[in-house]
Amino acid sequence: MVVSLPLPITITITITIPIPHPPSPVFILGVNFNENKLVKKALESFYALGPQTSARVMAKYYIHARAKVGTLAPKTVTALTAELSTMTIENEARKIVLDNIKRLRDIGTYRGRRHAMGLPVRGQQTRNQISNARKLNKIERKG
Amino acid sequence: MSASNCLRCCLLRPSVVGRAGATAATAKASAAATARLRQGMPLAAAAAASFSTTANRGANQKPKPGTKAAERNAPPSIRQGKLFTIKKKKKNDSGARVKSPLPGERKAFRKRILLSNTNALPVPGLTDLGAESMLDPSNVCKVLSLPDDVVDQLRADEAFKTTQCWSMFRKPSILIRTETVDLITRMHAAAKTNKTLRLVLTGDRVTGKSLMLLQAITQAHLNDWLVVNIPDAQELTTACTEYAPILDTEPIQYMQQNYVLKLIQAIKKSNEKLLLKLTTVFSHAGLPQNIPIKSPLMQLANSAKEAEGAWAVFQAMWQEMTAQGHGRPPMLLSLDGLTHIMRISDYRTPAFNPIHSHDLALVRLFTDHLSGATSLPNGGAVIAATNRNNAPRNPSMELALAQREAEQLGGGKDVPQPQPYLKGYDERVEAVLRNVQVIKLQGLSKLEARALMEYWAASGVLRITVDEKSVTEKWALGGSGVVGEMERASLLTMRF
Repeated sequence: MVVSLPLPITITITITIPIPHPPSPVFILGVNFNENKLVKKALESFYALGPQTSARVMAKYYIHARAKVGTLAPKTVTALTAELSTMTIENEARKIVLDNIKRLRDIGTYRGRRHAMGLPVRGQQTRNQISNARKLNKIERKG
Repeated sequence: MSASNCLRCCLLRPSVVGRAGATAATAKASAAATARLRQGMPLAAAAAASFSTTANRGANQKPKPGTKAAERNAPPSIRQGKLFTIKKKKKNDSGARVKSPLPGERKAFRKRILLSNTNALPVPGLTDLGAESMLDPSNVCKVLSLPDDVVDQLRADEAFKTTQCWSMFRKPSILIRTETVDLITRMHAAAKTNKTLRLVLTGDRVTGKSLMLLQAITQAHLNDWLVVNIPDAQELTTACTEYAPILDTEPIQYMQQNYVLKLIQAIKKSNEKLLLKLTTVFSHAGLPQNIPIKSPLMQLANSAKEAEGAWAVFQAMWQEMTAQGHGRPPMLLSLDGLTHIMRISDYRTPAFNPIHSHDLALVRLFTDHLSGATSLPNGGAVIAATNRNNAPRNPSMELALAQREAEQLGGGKDVPQPQPYLKGYDERVEAVLRNVQVIKLQGLSKLEARALMEYWAASGVLRITVDEKSVTEKWALGGSGVVGEMERASLLTMRF
């Protein structure tokens, strides 16, 4: 049985697309997040809050892994803010790092000196590839 | 200029010999060089090329003084210093700027289901499925089409998958296999005696498990059963939908409000006629809306508008749909992707312990019915299909299904046993699958393959003569008639 295929082929496709609405910001710990941002990403944007901690925080408030900020109930947002405010993140965490470097400097260790000079601390070669050390190793370290 | 590009001419490139006299007439020089070659004279003095040297000569030529070209080529004066020129960015004239798709547009395109193709030929003599068609063994090896209203219901159930080739044919149609009649007969026998058929469809990849499930759902719709279909179990356990604990449950269970809301809407759409007809017999407290007794079930379903109260509404609906002695029809509870609910889910408890899939309330509802812990009082079927692509490793389920299959075949000694040193067996999974029927799908028979290929040919998508030779060829190419592979070998290739 041989059947010829009619040509040309035209296929009409109708697709229903959800109409996007303008994003409304959500505040977590005073920071403004786009509602389309993943909660995981939003949490991990805080200094000293990594994947492990963010997963635990989210589990604590029954937030699933792929939740977006916009879907959180206002109650959960408040609870998250309260939770984050008890944690050592952002400036407090930065201060700890600074204090550690300062302590090394004050007691005159080699590591302290290397920090002060903006050079690698752990015995790396300094011929090249020390841009991270130059960037980060400072007494008044930023980030 | 000479058209040949022989070695001899290549040797006479102007870059090699150009300095000797690049301005000489090339044809003349070429002839001279050939003569010299013949005489065995050195080539250095020759100046000729077998190809265009216009650009080269142009580059060597000095522009006339005073012209613009001369100014452009002149070396910058020392006083001028270094000039920094920015090239103008060329505008892309090739077409208008491409607009990126709106949010959700790509997904909608990816998930679209096309069930008809007006370019495909209508198949003569194709009849619609009737309520009894799939029960009749004489219909085996026939292709029958789905009635339009059932197509709408199946669409609401999300029983069609994007990976299936519906979009190549004029009308969605299905092949009645031996296994189809077997399955449908079992379903009917169970419904007649108010019993619950508990069955798992298994088999290698692309052997038609999801399609067999679709046939079961079709049969349920054709016979006015209530249908609750979970189209992809993966959505329940991969932590991609909201979850919340259910109070007063021990050990604690979790509801998935958003998914349940979606499920209620699907149930509403696919069982519309029945839900309008059936009326409530219980009073339900704690619903978002007060539903008096004897109001249609549709009203109850409609009361779920937000995810907030969806689980309560679903529970109420389930209670109503399975009410005994109120003339409720049989029910089909089906699920595709059994592997995904037979494992530990990606959800976590607040203490960060993993949640077992069977602690998710909706999954629990299904597994309880599959294991036989609870039954459907008005009869019906609980059918699950395993999935082979994208399936997590699941030794317990594999073992349990293999054991059930061996038991059904009556092999007392040949029943597979767990490997003593293999970790990762799950007791809960074994408990659920301890007492289920299994249908293992394999390749089509040659007759079935022929029926299917004749349907393809009649639709104009398979342009070969369907005879014994071609059927055997495609059947063999499809790994002894594995239907998806046959489809791949015949329809999804440009080599006919």
